[in-house]
Amino acid sequence: RARRQKPCTLRELELTVSELGLGYESDETVLLRYCSGKCTAHRRNYDITMEHMMRTGFKKKGRKDKVINGPCCRPTAFEKDFSFLDNNSRYHTIQNVSAKNCGCV
Amino acid sequence: MLPCCRPADVSVCDSELGPPGWREPLDCVRASELCNQNNQCSSRYRIMRQCLSGGDKERSAMLASRECQGALEVLQDSPLYDCRCKRNMKKELQCLQNYWSIHMGLTEGEEFYETSPYEPIHFSEEFRHASIISGRRMSPCSEAGKPCNPCLDAAKACNLNETCKRLRSAYNSICSKATPPQATSANQEPCSRKRCQKALRQFFERVSWELSYPLLFCSCPDQACAERRRRTIVPSCSHQERHKPSCLELRRTCRSDALCRSRLADFHMNCQMTPHSVTSCPHDNFHGCLMSYVGLIGSDVTPNYSDSSPSNISIGLWCSCRGTGAQEAECDTFHRDFTHNTCLSESTDAKEKPAEVTADRDLLQQQIAANANRILQRCINTPSFC
Repeated sequence: RARRQKPCTLRELELTVSELGLGYESDETVLLRYCSGKCTAHRRNYDITMEHMMRTGFKKKGRKDKVINGPCCRPTAFEKDFSFLDNNSRYHTIQNVSAKNCGCV
Repeated sequence: MLPCCRPADVSVCDSELGPPGWREPLDCVRASELCNQNNQCSSRYRIMRQCLSGGDKERSAMLASRECQGALEVLQDSPLYDCRCKRNMKKELQCLQNYWSIHMGLTEGEEFYETSPYEPIHFSEEFRHASIISGRRMSPCSEAGKPCNPCLDAAKACNLNETCKRLRSAYNSICSKATPPQATSANQEPCSRKRCQKALRQFFERVSWELSYPLLFCSCPDQACAERRRRTIVPSCSHQERHKPSCLELRRTCRSDALCRSRLADFHMNCQMTPHSVTSCPHDNFHGCLMSYVGLIGSDVTPNYSDSSPSNISIGLWCSCRGTGAQEAECDTFHRDFTHNTCLSESTDAKEKPAEVTADRDLLQQQIAANANRILQRCINTPSFC
């Protein structure tokens, strides 16, 4: 049975700063907000055309371009700066890590 | 008339929980408005402000003058005389300035301990703080097997709350950001101290104590945790300075600022050691001591943990009394209120003290029962309230 995909939304997960993969070592826990879900409801004529172009259109015109044929679920805004103390007792401030709003763009 | 609550709503009926016979004092902003409505009072008030406008030396000469003494006499009978300010009230600074505009004249600013311009921390606030203290004291590390770091748990709780995370990140990044190097001078300041202290004050004023106090008063089993606790207020910027002033100089700086002066007076009032109580805090109210201690953070006299010892808690200001000469004794007395204050160390101390916890709780329950009873009595006598 096919799993029904949820639309693009903001989701959250508790992680330690170390688990963010940014190279910082800190056991402080942070709430990571990220965007996930389908954007099928947000397709425009552009996307239909691009899908068609990818299948046959570009080849006919002698092009090898690759385009993304649908809107993606991405952050449209990020949360404010976040500061934490690392395991060596130093403060760091990181930016643009956690999403604030999501959109199909 | 004060609003009254049903007996079931005991906890929300703050106005009812003060000590019996306690009346809310007039706030100094209101008192000064009242004074200004009266011709005699307002003219003397204006004179008084002029008397206090000069520097330290001019001021005492001015205050001794007949005009200033006369103004003071009239003002002692005005509502300004026993007005107080509320913590975090609107126009808090204005209220404190109004307070000192008469009280500085009364003591000529020479008293070692000054009366706090703040309302006394009464029962309802104590009650609110009781849970954190007892919870903290009972068992800092309940889950066996998991690494225990209550300060890290406090950081997590703060990060998961929008306001706490935002304001903590704000002061952390301001306090650890180096100011851009000046073209003219080589010695770069480590940070903008004033902005850092303001951000710290905002953090402790706007974040609920349930989230902010555990960061500052977490109990630590080891040094790593205690170092995190010591770094909570970014002491390299907010507490330390390149130059270590004498403690009396520090106090002088503090007293020239209405907010700092008020917070210091409040600290002296609530954390003053007394032989008349078990905890050595005035009225055994160590919650009051914690509150007034937190009030000093972000002022010129920002106290902090002196080292990262997990159990032997020592607190101090960034100052010394060496070389203060004839004033060394006075200087020591001032600094020892921080460094050798059993009321303060008992209040911040995280060591487990089961006997005391039980005693506290019994006392608290008695007080709650007594207060509930009073409210009930009032409701019986005046049914329209309930």
